[in-house]
Amino acid sequence: MKKDIYILDAKQISVQSPLVDDWMDNPLSYQEPYIRAIDPDYKQYFEPNTVRRLGKILKRALLTSRQVMEATGISNPDAIITGTGLGCLENSELFLEALLRDGETLLKPTHFMQSTHNTIGSLIAIDAHCHGYNSTYVHKGISFESALLDAYMQLKNGQIQTALVGAHDEMTPKYFTWLQRIGYLGNTKDSFSGETAVSLMLGTTSVEVRCTLPLLCQIKGVEMLYVGARHALPLLPLQTMLTHLLEQAQCSLDEIDAVMIGANGLPTNDQIYTEVCRALFPNKKMLRYKHLFGESYTAPGLGAYAAATCLHQQCIPAHLFVNIDEKEQKKVKNILFYNQFENKNHTLILLSSCGK
Amino acid sequence: MEFFFITGAGIISAIGNNKQETLSALQEQRSGIAPLRYLNTSHTEFPVGEVKLTNEEMMQLLGIPETEVTTRTSLMGMIAVREALLEAQLIAPLQNTKIALISGTTVGGMDKTEVYYLDFFEDNSKDAYIATHDCGSSTEMIADYFGIFSLVETISTACSSAANAIMLGAQLIRDGRADVVVAGGCESLTKFHLNGFNSLMILDREPCKPFDAHRAGLNLGEGAAYVVLESEECFSRRLRVKPAMTPLKPLALLSGYANTCDAFHQTASSSNGEGAYLAMTKALAAANLSPEEIDYINAHGTGTENNDLSEGIAIQRVFGEKIPPTSSTKSFTGHTTSAAGGLEAVISILALQHDFIPANLNFSTPMPELSFEPYTARHGGIDPQAPNLKHVLSNSFGFGGNGTALIFSVMNNEE
Repeated sequence: MKKDIYILDAKQISVQSPLVDDWMDNPLSYQEPYIRAIDPDYKQYFEPNTVRRLGKILKRALLTSRQVMEATGISNPDAIITGTGLGCLENSELFLEALLRDGETLLKPTHFMQSTHNTIGSLIAIDAHCHGYNSTYVHKGISFESALLDAYMQLKNGQIQTALVGAHDEMTPKYFTWLQRIGYLGNTKDSFSGETAVSLMLGTTSVEVRCTLPLLCQIKGVEMLYVGARHALPLLPLQTMLTHLLEQAQCSLDEIDAVMIGANGLPTNDQIYTEVCRALFPNKKMLRYKHLFGESYTAPGLGAYAAATCLHQQCIPAHLFVNIDEKEQKKVKNILFYNQFENKNHTLILLSSCGK
Repeated sequence: MEFFFITGAGIISAIGNNKQETLSALQEQRSGIAPLRYLNTSHTEFPVGEVKLTNEEMMQLLGIPETEVTTRTSLMGMIAVREALLEAQLIAPLQNTKIALISGTTVGGMDKTEVYYLDFFEDNSKDAYIATHDCGSSTEMIADYFGIFSLVETISTACSSAANAIMLGAQLIRDGRADVVVAGGCESLTKFHLNGFNSLMILDREPCKPFDAHRAGLNLGEGAAYVVLESEECFSRRLRVKPAMTPLKPLALLSGYANTCDAFHQTASSSNGEGAYLAMTKALAAANLSPEEIDYINAHGTGTENNDLSEGIAIQRVFGEKIPPTSSTKSFTGHTTSAAGGLEAVISILALQHDFIPANLNFSTPMPELSFEPYTARHGGIDPQAPNLKHVLSNSFGFGGNGTALIFSVMNNEE
């Protein structure tokens, strides 16, 4: 039996106002290349001990997860699947620096215990007493899609009915300068580095009724392609992947309202999107999201959330369009999400409105 | 559940640089745990399971120029993947065949980061190692060495990473997203996690004693191991296209898998082993097997106070009175953390192929809390060289309660 798969709800903490969709109408803009997320007042949500004990990435992941579980009424998801490019960077740095500074004899375990990537997914599981499937994907700019694909496959083949999918990355000042030096992050306000914490609750048709909220959107397909180190654009395999995705979703390219891309203001990155889009999606309206959320390995998680929000609210705000002359668009049926990382990894996600 | 053909396997660890050496060490009960030789740390009091090769020697074996930027994690990965691909006769790209690489690691490029970290502050001379720090980089370095993969993902669930990679591999084949999946894990020793485990006070200063009443912790190890998974249909198609492959036979089947979470503590297991119990029970259900049908358990068995008690109780809960021969091969390899699920998958497959039960080394005193003791050479009853193994259960449990159980079966059982 073919199952429909939905994003039931999503909550984010990023460089935009936390836990709300204010970026739709009142996007915050920045003038610096390195911006950290706007943290809510955690004291309002957690015990003082928790606020003190947990690192930033963990607090953000825990709060967005709790909120999305509360909002959907799904307190015990069948699977908790996390994507994170760099994991608990801050704690890793603290432990490594103590090791290099103080030597190998006086180390305390606190930072080490919170340094592994799967600390995030485990924390959520411990907090919610979830004994179900729990996994963590750690693959650079496609960590979020890897997590999403795992959930999507299991939902589709009936192994699970609900999945909490998270995309989480923090960025420390040191790591920022290093990633800037090797060209992954930019040095202008148009190519700024952000931080990502977004939790999405996914479910199949059967849980639709359990969810007390209107659904955000439907996920009609997830595709991933690795092409390895190369200079030419892999247009042929990308075309094959696109055709396959649309066929599976029984959707034509004409029905796609817009393509959302990961343009981030860095010429080497943006040029790949421009050329691929010109070849694969000529004349389609292009949307962006990194001008709002900044760059981070799991920023695509925020992109998917942004696209889902547009489908839910039936509105694409003018500021999302790559073409600055475009006006706000009402009525949105399908958004194709296209992400690539260093021209080595390419992913597509097809998101559709739940409305008729 | 459907089953998956395993048509190749590769392994490198403290007990050998390939399957043949690994098999000999297991059968002759030679442990690879030894005093520190390669890792630069002041903690020489801890024995470790190191791969007995320098990075330069590994690069030479792989034909990689000395000038190339690599990490120990990825080099070990390349060696193991190469052995697996050669065995499956997949070393060259194959038309109309989608091949995926799924790798588990947590250390990633930390082996270089911890050496060059202070240089990153000083100047840009070691910048190449900034890009190799993250886990995904190690997988891509492996993928790019072969150039045959069209889907590449990295999993990090601490010590169950490689087992989850194998599980995802099966899921991708099941969903038609890949025809062949090379899945497993790689992890080098680092000062970072050696000190981390030491700060948790769970390292033994002697060779580890899994499931022994006097166990005093684990020995860290390093290594890499991968299996080649494919559907029966894909394998038959490959045979048709290339009849010269005929001597190629599947080594074993992956017949069941399950991933669960203990949801108890970030670095400790629950006293009733709930996560482990659920993983084993669900894997058995997925494989449509009853507990009595499992002939050997390759336990997670780290040798820590906490794991062996929790896992032992979980095993008792699943198997009741009839506990199959159980051993932890970490007494040979050390605990290779993220690679452990891969190593133990390959060891389980070797046990099935060559019909023997790997021994649990260094055991002398039964744990008073458990009704069973691990399998050692002194066991009577089952002939260790011909136990007639049909189904093997392999457990992998990680920090954060991430637990995965895999079941491997002999070929003829399904025919």
